[in-house]
Amino acid sequence: MNGLPITADLPARLSASSAERLATVFDAHYVRLYRLARRLVPTADDALDLVQETFLRAARASRSIPTGFADEEAWLVRVLVNIRRDQWRKAAVRRRYNEECRPSIVAGTDTEAAFVAREAVWSALDVLAPRQRAIVIMHEIEGLTVNDIASALRITPITVRWHLSRGRRELARALKPFGVTDDEA
Amino acid sequence: MTKLRDMLAAADPLRHERQPAQARRDHLRSTVVTAASHAYPPRRARYPMVVPVLVTFAAIVIGMVIIASMWSHSGSLAQAAVRFEVHLAEDQPGPGLRAARVGSSNRTVYLHPETVVTNGDIARSRVIPGGAPSQFGIDVQLNNAGAEKMRQATMSHLGKPVAILIDGNVVIAPTVKSAIDAEAVISGDYTQADAQRIAAGMTGAAP
Repeated sequence: MNGLPITADLPARLSASSAERLATVFDAHYVRLYRLARRLVPTADDALDLVQETFLRAARASRSIPTGFADEEAWLVRVLVNIRRDQWRKAAVRRRYNEECRPSIVAGTDTEAAFVAREAVWSALDVLAPRQRAIVIMHEIEGLTVNDIASALRITPITVRWHLSRGRRELARALKPFGVTDDEA
Repeated sequence: MTKLRDMLAAADPLRHERQPAQARRDHLRSTVVTAASHAYPPRRARYPMVVPVLVTFAAIVIGMVIIASMWSHSGSLAQAAVRFEVHLAEDQPGPGLRAARVGSSNRTVYLHPETVVTNGDIARSRVIPGGAPSQFGIDVQLNNAGAEKMRQATMSHLGKPVAILIDGNVVIAPTVKSAIDAEAVISGDYTQADAQRIAAGMTGAAP
């Protein structure tokens, strides 16, 4: 205890630095997180909520965020996907009800029908559990490699491949009425 | 047949929607940054400002190296009461500030006239072992009111010195790196007898 300077981890210093850190992290990763979130949830508002919850969790645990752009991003993506999984589990009962009551949608030719068809295609993703959906989106839409996804989500490449193959199969089945084929099956 | 990847890409909502308005993004950003600045302690975010005041959670250490020569007049320490004060200070002179030498060094700090805490804010003080067998320090524990005063004063004084005075002399003026509250350790090369006299004198008790 002799001659210690005032350097212990203290509220004010922590607050100041974690606010700065969070501002930097937010500015660096907001767009990427929003884009991922938007593809995981039904509406833009849901996506903003998910992004906010992710950053709030980061704010509460700013010391857990690794440093470096890629590691920060991977950490945030994991948190985001995990939050989505929690939401998904909580909503399971409601979802079952909705699925029973969902109106059937038929693809049409005019603009409105095209919109409806697009919505129907996209909502086919709802059959996938959040992590599987995230993996499918990262691979099929964002173009990430299996290894990139594995290291971001801290799972093995084999697991990623399993989710991809299973996710694609389920999607192809759900989208069969639209003439979709699983191109890599 | 359409490829799955192409169909998903065509249906991707980001292709057909605008990004959320800048105002919503900015609002979200400020929510997050505000949350981060109130995020201590992490597990109890509902009471962000209460827990740091709790002595057990927020006790911190002010390390004070007392220059031995300051205390060569050990006779004065034999007096019953030892005046303990903490003042905010500046590195640069300014209106209303009083210059004071720090210990026996050449460093001068400029004291704010207000006393942040004094003897009445001490819950207890005790002698603790110092860095060597013959050296002793003093552990000063502030009471809740004292800790709160200290925290309030230092949280807006980051990066500037806080001066700790014993009998009117600045013994050390460490720079505030974060809000300080409950505990101070005045460590240095006191003899055990001197440390006991100072510790006892701080709380007004007879040595």
